[in-house]
Amino acid sequence: MNGIHDMGGMHGLGEIGHSRDDPAFHAAWEVRVHALATALAAYGKWRALRPEIEAIPAAEYLRMSYYERWLAALVEEIAKSGLATRAEIERGAADAGFRRSVPALTADKARIAALATPREELAVRVETLFRVGQRVRGANLNPSTHTRMPRYTRGKVGVVERDRGVFALPDTDVYFGDPKPQHVYLVRFAADELWGSGASARDSIFIDMWQDYLEPA
Amino acid sequence: MTRLPDDSSEHGHRTVPSEPALRVQALESLLIEKGLVDPAALDELVDLFENKVGPRNGALVVARAWLDPEFKRRLLADGTAAIAELGFSGRQGEKLTVVESTPSVHNVIVCTLCSCYPWPLLGLPPIWYKSSAYRARTVADPRGVLRELGLDVPDDVEVRVWDSNAASRYLVLPERPPGTEALGEAALAALVTRDAMIGVARVTLPVSERS
Repeated sequence: MNGIHDMGGMHGLGEIGHSRDDPAFHAAWEVRVHALATALAAYGKWRALRPEIEAIPAAEYLRMSYYERWLAALVEEIAKSGLATRAEIERGAADAGFRRSVPALTADKARIAALATPREELAVRVETLFRVGQRVRGANLNPSTHTRMPRYTRGKVGVVERDRGVFALPDTDVYFGDPKPQHVYLVRFAADELWGSGASARDSIFIDMWQDYLEPA
Repeated sequence: MTRLPDDSSEHGHRTVPSEPALRVQALESLLIEKGLVDPAALDELVDLFENKVGPRNGALVVARAWLDPEFKRRLLADGTAAIAELGFSGRQGEKLTVVESTPSVHNVIVCTLCSCYPWPLLGLPPIWYKSSAYRARTVADPRGVLRELGLDVPDDVEVRVWDSNAASRYLVLPERPPGTEALGEAALAALVTRDAMIGVARVTLPVSERS
C-alpha cells in the first residue's frame, strides 16, 4: 500500500537521532512485546505483523514509537484471530468460563524457535523470467494492501545482479492467499536513475524484488 | 541480567509506569491466564534478545574474516552457512548477504519499509536505524546521511546502499584498519562496532593504540 511506512526518499521526517551506544530496548516493556510476538507467532494465526503495522493511520504511525506499533499490531492480530476478545484485552483478564489453552511455545522450545534459521526459500522449480545482467523496470503497481515493493522503484530501470531463488509472494501469501511461488532477484539501480542528476553517478541502490514487481526494460 | 527501566522517560525519575508499560503488563497477564503463553518461555526470549544476541556476534564474524581468507571467501559466498560455523543462527538470518567495503566501495544498510536487520549477528536494531529520517534519507542521500553521522566518503569512492526488504539480511564487512597486523581475533573483534557493520562508521584504532 502507498502508506506512510514506505518512506524511501521522503523529506521532512525529522532527525535521525543517531547515537553510537543506543540500546536495542529503551524500556522493559519493549522487549516483552517482542517476546509476546514471538510466543504468539507459534500459533500460526498470522504470517507477519507488518500488514497491521502498515494499516496504522499515518498520523498515528508517526506519533507512535517503534514498539508501540508492534503492540498495536499484535493486539489487532490477537483480537482478529480470536485468541482473545477486545474486551478481555481491555480488561487484562479472561472472560468468565473461558477455556484454558496449552501454550504453543513452551520454555524448552523458545530458544530453539528463536535461534532456528527459518527456511523461507521454497524448494519448488519455477521458471526464471529474468537473467543476471538483464535490464528490468519496476512495475507500476499500486496495491492498497501489503507489498514489499517500495514505491521509489516504480517505473525505474535497474539491472539484475543475482537470482535469490524461489519465494512466496508476500502480497498474497501474508493473507494466507495463493503463495504464487516465484523468483526473487537482487536488482541494482543507479542512484541517478532513482533520484535524478542531483545524485552521485557513482552510487547504487541494491534491492531484492519479486518477479511480479518487475517487467523487462 | 541487565535491568531496564520500567518507563521510557529519559528523565529517569518517574515512578509511574508509562501507558504502554501498563498495557503490555495487562496483555501479558491475560495471555498467561488463558494459557496462551508460557511465562517461562517469555523469560527465555527476553533473556535471549536482551543479553545473548547482539553486535558482539557480528564483531567476531568480522574479525574471523579479517584473519582467515578462506572463511572470508565462504562468508561472502553464503553468509548464513558461514556464520553457522561459528554457531550463529536464528530469525532474520536467512539468506545473510555480507557485503565487503574496500578502499573503492563503501556499503551501507537500511530498511526503508520497516526495520529488517540481521538479528543473529547484531541483535535488535537501535532506535536511530528505525527512525523515519534514516529510512527515508539513506536510499536517496546516503552521502549526506553518512556525513551527518560523522563519516565522509570521498567522491571517488562508490557508495552502495542495500535496502533490505525481502528474505535477505545484510551485514557490512568493514575494512580492517591499518596498524592492526599484530592483533588476534579477540582484540580485533573488540574494535568492530555495530555502526561499522551497518556501514555508518569505519573501524578505527583507539588513539592510545596507534603507533
